[in-house]
Amino acid sequence: MKTYNKPLPTIQPWSEEFWKGTKQEKLLIQECKQCGSKIFYPRKNCPECWSPDLTWRQASGRAKVFSYSVTHAGVEEHFYEDIPFVLALVDLEEGVRMMTNIIGCKPEDVSIGMDLEVVFDHVTNDIALPKWRPVSS
Amino acid sequence: MSKGNLAIIGVGEVPTGRYPERSHWDILYDICIQAVKDAGIDKKDIEGVITVAPQAQPRLTSEISFGKIPEELGFTGCKDVCICNAGGASTTNCLRLAEQWINSGLAKIVLIPHVTVQSTIPLQEVISFFATAGIDTQWEYPFGATFNGMLGMVAQRYMYETGTTAEEMAATVVALRKWAALDPNSMFYGKPVTIDDVLNSKMISTPLRSKECNVLADGGGAMIVTSRDLARKITDTPVFKLGHGGRYVGACHILRQDYFMEEGWRLASEEALAEAGLTKEDIDIFEFYVAYPFNQLVALEAVGITKRGQAGKFVLEGHTSPGGKCPCSTIGDAAGRGHTGSGVSMANYIECARQLMGKAGKRQVTGCEYILASAAGGSGMNTLMTVWGNKIP
Repeated sequence: MKTYNKPLPTIQPWSEEFWKGTKQEKLLIQECKQCGSKIFYPRKNCPECWSPDLTWRQASGRAKVFSYSVTHAGVEEHFYEDIPFVLALVDLEEGVRMMTNIIGCKPEDVSIGMDLEVVFDHVTNDIALPKWRPVSS
Repeated sequence: MSKGNLAIIGVGEVPTGRYPERSHWDILYDICIQAVKDAGIDKKDIEGVITVAPQAQPRLTSEISFGKIPEELGFTGCKDVCICNAGGASTTNCLRLAEQWINSGLAKIVLIPHVTVQSTIPLQEVISFFATAGIDTQWEYPFGATFNGMLGMVAQRYMYETGTTAEEMAATVVALRKWAALDPNSMFYGKPVTIDDVLNSKMISTPLRSKECNVLADGGGAMIVTSRDLARKITDTPVFKLGHGGRYVGACHILRQDYFMEEGWRLASEEALAEAGLTKEDIDIFEFYVAYPFNQLVALEAVGITKRGQAGKFVLEGHTSPGGKCPCSTIGDAAGRGHTGSGVSMANYIECARQLMGKAGKRQVTGCEYILASAAGGSGMNTLMTVWGNKIP
């Protein structure tokens, strides 16, 4: 595999499951067993009720574009090869929002409200980043 | 009468821009000496120094944190020293802390300085610093998030929801640069731009073009503050802090309920005005420090100057520009002044003081009595509003 020079996520003990999940092409959302809150990003304790009793539920992998920005300049050198790339906020069917990249289409074809499906970008042997592409593609 | 007990009695400032030959300590000496002279006090009268934490300058931060300023400047009457870091909201919190030191009797007169030199930091290092300052290293940074990208998304959504046009967005830059063109301490002094200049500038993070983003700069400023009573004895032009309001909005954009910070600005300004015993109609200048030009529109709408979606037209018509009926950001906010990290809010408060002292030169708003000033930190973690006046209502 080609050397990956871009920043990798700084993983915490309570987010390890999430990244194990993406490695297996599963998008996992943390859920509180006590109050039922859906939690993203993952926490040590539920931000609503502080319960430490948290579990994981697989997301449908469907989302809509909340907003996006096509990046043309002003990034660190290791992102140059990706320019222009789409930085986006996507709203998952489960009601949580993620920051991500939209791939698999021309940047100019991205629009707010567009339907997306998750795709896993295996950037290293250990890490897969959840990215999104238009449902039709 | 408002509850606060703080007044600015003197300010000092060096021009903002790229001046690699000017060291941190050059600037610190100059601004502190200027501010003490401007206040008409003796250096031994400084009993406390509360410094705005500089960003991306760890050696300097360390020197300041561990007490170097009073020693270098010979503040022999100094009783305590500390540094405050809340990003762009640092100065506002330095003012709060100074008020506490003054009210508790720890210090009668406090110096609040800020210095930033970014031109000597390698560009990639600066980009890296800001790529992880106020941006989450697990959930945002791996996707190539930058301040421009994050705010590009806010701008995109704002245009989508309000129908604001690219021309109206660009008009915010034109208005700010008109003010900056009149400010000898601005990096864009004498350099106004047109809407075409903005729209023809290089695309950075859609919909934001280079002239709609900030240019990093070096700079520094200082304020001398004291109690209201002592301020009246020392100077004929005290500038009183009349009100303060604030809201925490959130660190990560993915979790921000108040995505445009609109509710935060509204509540903070209502609180600040209520404490001052004023309404928005009493305000002569809105000194918005909202970092990105298009955020001027959100601020105007949040404070209630225009209805939602109408601010773009309002700015395009020139109402916030020099000579307009609603002067906003009279040093041109970060886009006009140059972005000095945590220092833009310092420059903004110094401008409040200048306007209320009647010392704002060609930017002077005639008969200015009350100002509403904003500040925020990180990628928009909070909304802080303060009210200032040259009299107490």
